[in-house]
Amino acid sequence: MTDALLQVDDLRVTFAVGGREVRAVDGITFTVSPGATLAIIGESGSGKTVSCRAIMGLLPTGTAIGGSARLRGTELLGLSDAELRRHRGSDLAMVFQDPARSLNPTMRVGLQITEAITTHRTASKREAQAQAIELLRLVRIPAAERRFHEYPHQLSGGMRQRVMIAMALACRPKLLIADEATTALDVTTQAQIMELLLELQEELDMALIMISHDLGLAASYADEVIVMYAGKIVEQAPAAGLFGAGGAVRMRYTRALLDAIPHLERPAHTLLPVVGGRPPDPTALPPGCSFAPRCQYAEDDCRAKVPALAEHVPGHRWACWHPCENGAAPHD
Amino acid sequence: MALVQQIQLQQGGPGARGRARRVTGSPALRMVGRRLLAVIPVLIGVSFLTFAIMSTLPNNTAQAILGLSASPAAVAQLNHSLGLDRPFWVQYWSWLINVLHGNFGTAVQGQSVNHELAIYVPTTLALLVYALVVSLALAIIVATLAARRPNGIADRINLTVSMLGLSTAPYAFAFLLIIIFAVKLGWFPVLSGPVTGPASFFRNLTLPAASIGFGLFAIYSRLLRADLVEQMQREDYIVTAKAKGVAPWRVLIRHALRNSLFNLITVIALNLGGLVGAVAIIETVFQVQGIGNDLITGISNHDLPLIQGITLVFALVTVAGNLLADILYAVLDPRIRYGSTTS
Repeated sequence: MTDALLQVDDLRVTFAVGGREVRAVDGITFTVSPGATLAIIGESGSGKTVSCRAIMGLLPTGTAIGGSARLRGTELLGLSDAELRRHRGSDLAMVFQDPARSLNPTMRVGLQITEAITTHRTASKREAQAQAIELLRLVRIPAAERRFHEYPHQLSGGMRQRVMIAMALACRPKLLIADEATTALDVTTQAQIMELLLELQEELDMALIMISHDLGLAASYADEVIVMYAGKIVEQAPAAGLFGAGGAVRMRYTRALLDAIPHLERPAHTLLPVVGGRPPDPTALPPGCSFAPRCQYAEDDCRAKVPALAEHVPGHRWACWHPCENGAAPHD
Repeated sequence: MALVQQIQLQQGGPGARGRARRVTGSPALRMVGRRLLAVIPVLIGVSFLTFAIMSTLPNNTAQAILGLSASPAAVAQLNHSLGLDRPFWVQYWSWLINVLHGNFGTAVQGQSVNHELAIYVPTTLALLVYALVVSLALAIIVATLAARRPNGIADRINLTVSMLGLSTAPYAFAFLLIIIFAVKLGWFPVLSGPVTGPASFFRNLTLPAASIGFGLFAIYSRLLRADLVEQMQREDYIVTAKAKGVAPWRVLIRHALRNSLFNLITVIALNLGGLVGAVAIIETVFQVQGIGNDLITGISNHDLPLIQGITLVFALVTVAGNLLADILYAVLDPRIRYGSTTS
């Protein structure tokens, strides 16, 4: 683990909302190796986006952040904004969920890309423009010279997300965080953008953190999967350990997410299984397992004590008092 | 329309493929054309309303000219020769026809209203532009400084100053300025003289412009500051810019400021009409030789042709200002410029 690109230890993020403290992220630990793909899966409010923004230093001032996040050994938490800015956009880059809102509507896309270049390197206007057009080609945008001079509203959703990716890649980052990067796109475009991200990851040898609510996406693309619930990691394993032959999902919440994915083989006109109930109120978490109120297998011990995240099988951690049996799909 | 088509032809040629939606004309140009046409009913409406309001007041124009000692017969005689005994709509119609011929009529004191306007309008416009430009420029600078650190020192100072500006009547502030800068320091004259060049422009119009501009600055700077802070906290493209590693100052100025100007422009355009009242009062306080001051004189003389002429000019300024605002929207926002319907 010494060669880790990003090492996050016991990351905690607390917001003060109306005088009450809200633990958005409650002690998460993970590692990203160079060139690897990590998927962080969870519902809205599970803390996946907040964790990554904490690492990037993009949370509002006044947010309490604890723990440690080291990028190639350099501690990122606690750096001054000016120091952190040197890493942001150069070593660490981020692609966001909604490309329609994440690009400045009054600025030509070319200028938004060259800005990412000139922020970190001295380059003449001409050089920056040439590099930006090169980046547009890299993300497979046709007629890159013309697109360079266009405004975001003149591009389609998928095209805008490609521009966002081009911007993120401007300084060849070592780690790219894709925060629900395909959620706002239609299904065909989603697949194209995911393929593009993976191709670029290979080409540029960078690590990728995929934040998503879509377990299917993680199963198809990730090397390692983290499932988050109510600010905590509830299951963590290599993708093969979860979805491969001989592997299995253990935590009940992950299982419920997996069952909620529609399958074509399923008989027509049957109800899709859903994860019942609603995500817990982060200001009033239950005393035991946070998922217990929604879990049909929950027993008294689940409601009394928080299960610890422990490595029960080599490489596979989960936090559950009554995990699914290996190989047995409990709903069948 | 011929001009619009010609412009399209010039835009055609290579590279124009895929831009078929522009064939019907640049939306911005068409918008300007439509707005110019809309000016005509506005001006007719304004002049008609002014005429109607003035004619409901007791008519003492002839009395005002002849003095209180004039005999009723002489007053009736003059009213007849001025055409003031005709029915209201006949008077309005003949005034309108004259205006369409470029003749604003003759004021009570015998001078031509055209001549009067030619002398006074430039001074008032200069005063308005001076007040607007300086207050706007200061507001943009101060609001940006304040938005850099909400509740920081700059923000708190701006808040205090703006509260003063919002709660001080322009004429009261004018007297304060006169006492300090004209009476005590002697930098500026108490009463403004005629504006003949740049030097006399600054000498004569600085205090009046400051009196009008203080309140404007207060409104503009608070509005822009609030908008900037909101943008910085809520907009996703601000997060994108920060994620690129762009420094906070550059994020504020390059990304937030331009997108914050829309609300400011709207408020400036809306305020323009109300500004007329302030101009009239401030010009009277400083005895600036402008149409605001002239309007007050005209009203006390029941000088209908003069009042009508000046009202029309003010209406024109307001309408032109609003048109300018619409053009500025298009300049700042490519989505309006290219007439896109997406996003």
